[in-house]
Amino acid sequence: MGAESYKTPLHDRHESHGADMVNFSGWRMPLWYPSGAVTEHRSVVTNVGMFDTSHMSVVMVQGPNAFELLQRCFTRDLRCCCGRDGVPLKPGRSVFGAFLSQAGETVDDSVVFQMTAENYMVVVNAGMGATIAGHLEAHKGAFLVKATDMTGQVGKIDLQGPMSAKVLQRVLKSPDEVLGNMRCFSFRGSLVEGSIGGDAGSIRGIPVIVSRTGFSGEFGFEIFVTPDRLAEVWESLLVGGEEFGLIPCGLAARDSLRTGAILPLSHQDMGPWPFINNPWDFALPFNHDRTGFTKDFVGEVVLGLRESADHTLPFVGRDPRKVEIHDPAVVVDSEGREIGVVLTCVADMAIGRHSDRIYSMGSPDKPEGFKPLGLSCGYVKVKSKLTRGEVVELRDHRRSIKVTIVDDIRPDRTARRPMGEMLQRKESLP
Amino acid sequence: MKDMKELILPDGPRYAEDHEWAQIDGDVATIGVSDYAQDQLGDITYVELPAVGDIYKKGEEFGTLESTKAVSEVFMPISGEVVEVNEALGESPGLVNTDPYGEGWLVKVKMDDPSELDSLMAADEYGAMLEGGE
Repeated sequence: MGAESYKTPLHDRHESHGADMVNFSGWRMPLWYPSGAVTEHRSVVTNVGMFDTSHMSVVMVQGPNAFELLQRCFTRDLRCCCGRDGVPLKPGRSVFGAFLSQAGETVDDSVVFQMTAENYMVVVNAGMGATIAGHLEAHKGAFLVKATDMTGQVGKIDLQGPMSAKVLQRVLKSPDEVLGNMRCFSFRGSLVEGSIGGDAGSIRGIPVIVSRTGFSGEFGFEIFVTPDRLAEVWESLLVGGEEFGLIPCGLAARDSLRTGAILPLSHQDMGPWPFINNPWDFALPFNHDRTGFTKDFVGEVVLGLRESADHTLPFVGRDPRKVEIHDPAVVVDSEGREIGVVLTCVADMAIGRHSDRIYSMGSPDKPEGFKPLGLSCGYVKVKSKLTRGEVVELRDHRRSIKVTIVDDIRPDRTARRPMGEMLQRKESLP
Repeated sequence: MKDMKELILPDGPRYAEDHEWAQIDGDVATIGVSDYAQDQLGDITYVELPAVGDIYKKGEEFGTLESTKAVSEVFMPISGEVVEVNEALGESPGLVNTDPYGEGWLVKVKMDDPSELDSLMAADEYGAMLEGGE
């Protein structure tokens, strides 16, 4: 740790409430609270949990050519990236994608929020604000646009879990206006009083942006607020969420939740290798038959690397036993050949096997009295594609575990359930 | 993370430097890990234990504790033969966290050499070691 570690405005609160603190990308962050990472993970799947995510960076991209610069640098084609029908990004909508190098390797992944046609909020990973602002500036050429690193100037709280909307109903000034028909990857409100959304999206008079996004795979929201008011919003949510079982959660639960939901951790699951042949390459601007791209962009060279690039695939194990990725852990095929490396290996403690099927604590049809023991899961990067159902061995210096290559890990996730259904939902599945 | 003053270090068991404890009853020792160890590890998600009849020398690895953070080996604080393992940890590994000196015990061992107990620490000595290490 030391003076070089950044602290979020909630740092002292985390410490005084007994959080186990760790260094993460230059930030001092809670790994778990006294309730423990298992309880926190399960609470997000069955009820609701809350994360301080103010370590993430925000880059503002503003100017007459902001759209053109993002079209040049971001992997999504912003003219046709939203919804099933591929409609253009518009104010109040956001989209997941990545920024690539000329060589087609990942610089960072990101969610781009369109505030107005000439004003975009680009949310990137902790410590990446200056890198992405610099990357955008380096590629802007004659475009009239400015990319500004806002690291430390925007606070964020992730409220995640099936009860999230009910918590917001308790604390928002005008919940119906904010939440009504709110779709996945859309947002309302503003950090500036009196702009889009008026002050409907305010909590106790504090302007917030409420975005239906997150990093857990479960229904929920990211709430943006200026750092000076972050602690007040945190406390309001805690009070409003009490009856729904809301608990603060740390990075360990965040990591296990996102892994079970097939969400990547940048610089671990994607990095200095071609961004293709992975579960997230839907973020490339493929044409309808995936033979080409619908636009030119920085990193488009990846299309030609499809044959030679490694394949990143999800896996799930037999019990919660893990291998240590920094060991390093390798992937071994049925003939004993080393075919790749393990990128992520965690335990999703809300899932378990029952009669050859994986259920989640959130599964509506889970067996009676279902008490999952958890399953190890994560991603491997291998030289050639493995087929779904194939069994491989993951090996570190201590042990080897058998895992199955899968398309998906934690079933019955709620992230995309309709808002109306979630507002009706009863708390605390038995 | 618990403060030193929050740690529970009962007087009954003897403690090893690797944070295991041994509670003696006749020639059988019940083995577990200390409150400090479970607090450091975080939530225990899986416990690997030996089979009844396995024989260990003092200091040998006899299993692992899997937590959300890491996998840690556990080491025999005394030499002997495993006569019982805590089967309840299969369904409820979290007992190591919630009751490290009670229901969260790991194995029972028939001791080869009770004089080995002299090399283990009393609670106050173990507490002093933890303080020194902080």
